[in-house]
Amino acid sequence: MNASLARLHRERPRSRLVRLSLALLAALVVWAWCSGEFDFRPLGDPARREHLAQFVTVEVVPYPLRGAEFSWPALGAWAGALWREHGAEALVATLSIAVLAISLAGLGALLLAPFAARTLATVHPFEQACLAQQGHAGRRRAWQALNALVRAGLIFLRAIPEYVWAFLLLAMLGPSAWPAVLALAIHNAGILGKLGAETIENLERKPLAALTGLGARRAQLWFAAVLPLSLSRFLLYFFYRFETCVREATVLGMLGVVSLGYWIQDARAKLFYDEMLFFVTLGAAIVLLGDLVSTVARALLRRA
Amino acid sequence: MRAEGVPLPRAGAARTPFTRRRLIVAAVVLAAALAAWALDASLVGLVPQAGGLELVRDFFARALRPAWSYEGEAPAGAAPLWVAALVAARRTLVFAVAGMSLALVFGAVLGFLGSRAWWEHEPAGGESRLARFLRRSVAPAVWSATRVVIVGMRSVHELLWAVLFLAAFGLNNVAAVVALSIPYGGTLAKVFSEMIDEAPRDAAQALRAAGARDLQVFAVGLVPRALPDMCAYAFYRFECAVRSSAILGFFGFPTLGYSISQAFENLHYGEVWTYLYALCALVIGIELWSGALRRRFVA
Repeated sequence: MNASLARLHRERPRSRLVRLSLALLAALVVWAWCSGEFDFRPLGDPARREHLAQFVTVEVVPYPLRGAEFSWPALGAWAGALWREHGAEALVATLSIAVLAISLAGLGALLLAPFAARTLATVHPFEQACLAQQGHAGRRRAWQALNALVRAGLIFLRAIPEYVWAFLLLAMLGPSAWPAVLALAIHNAGILGKLGAETIENLERKPLAALTGLGARRAQLWFAAVLPLSLSRFLLYFFYRFETCVREATVLGMLGVVSLGYWIQDARAKLFYDEMLFFVTLGAAIVLLGDLVSTVARALLRRA
Repeated sequence: MRAEGVPLPRAGAARTPFTRRRLIVAAVVLAAALAAWALDASLVGLVPQAGGLELVRDFFARALRPAWSYEGEAPAGAAPLWVAALVAARRTLVFAVAGMSLALVFGAVLGFLGSRAWWEHEPAGGESRLARFLRRSVAPAVWSATRVVIVGMRSVHELLWAVLFLAAFGLNNVAAVVALSIPYGGTLAKVFSEMIDEAPRDAAQALRAAGARDLQVFAVGLVPRALPDMCAYAFYRFECAVRSSAILGFFGFPTLGYSISQAFENLHYGEVWTYLYALCALVIGIELWSGALRRRFVA
């Protein structure tokens, strides 16, 4: 019994890559904490501690409640005033930026994904590799080049962080909601385009190849077969990225677009930390709302 | 960049009724139209302002010619540009690794506390009164409290945590790492608990039938079934953490984002591209490593 257990233990599947990686990761963690970037001394500094105590007990406390008895009406009046002044408008703006951005990203990805999918963007869509070698050499190369170009384009779109896109678009278009919308849309079009292309590549080839064999043209193949087959998966990714968009739309405001982040930054600059906390809480609320919408939509899609 | 790691839909997804799917698509289109109306986003806003197009052209013109030395005045006593880029990339990695290591601790603890399987317990024989009290009233309370904490951690963006900590502690690199680790820890906890709950229960049931105690069942029967998926997901989040760590720089922390925003404000587009390529190299390197590992874990 023991001998066979020992043998099982000895012959358990092991991967050198995994072990090396784990060792390397452990070393990285030790290296990171010992790198000298992190100075814990200020945390023990009395002046800093006093500042922290002041921050927690006074500065984040809503203004009318400071040094006064806690009362709901006073808190309500304060929150209501903030909500009417900027909160409601910023909330709608943030949500609208996220929705418009992800919709544009989805549209862009739908247009680009078929050209990025290696199985579709060839001379003989969905045929086995050997057949793909046949046909007119010029057309074959043209498809190859188009495919490579679109794939490289998608990598480019998603490789540049949305903050860099936002910087650039703000400088180009001037202050409006468009820089935030387009920055999020461009970055997410790159991601959704790649995921969409993967979805198409994962479709079963034979039935689709049979359709081409029967004489279906490329547009017919796309609208009648590929799109309906991959749309559900595509929408799942769409809503997953929507959650991220809501989060980023809040934060992009800190670069100067009028979303919640703008008012967070504004309150911070004025040292009104109670107002800052109010807007951060509003941000958390719409993130929750976005997650809820996404979860419900994905549950509807999953339940066949 | 990779964006998978999302739990993949089950095979049934392809059989979604078309009517419901059309309804969702229609709702999305309607929502987009409403959003455009609410933002008052007229197409006039898409016309570049004066000098806007030149700026974009200048920016992309430098894409293939990143700077090798400082454009304009080099800061006194500064290291060469490529060294500065390497240092910023190293800091980006250090922040990401430190943040992830904290997030893993949060994720493991909260993920276990937040999983149903951790609290589930079918008493085999007699149960003491204390044990029954714990199971009936304390366990659901702890479970719900954990879920609330996880949601709270997740719903505030790491940059907003960073801004809060900046206000509370002043500029300190530890604040950036903690800010990074909170939403990442929450997300890890959420996904870990779901993975543990969805892991096959066969081994756990066999162990329980053989008389193993609860902790043994959980640690030996349940967690190992979920561990490959958990590792793969944690590694995917590590990739994301590197990007987030770079972006923290846009708000004053000394990572690549700081260098990028500084160069951008000085209109030194060549330098921007140098730093962007450093970021790309870092992210791609980790993606390749992560991809190789994930194939090993999942296969």
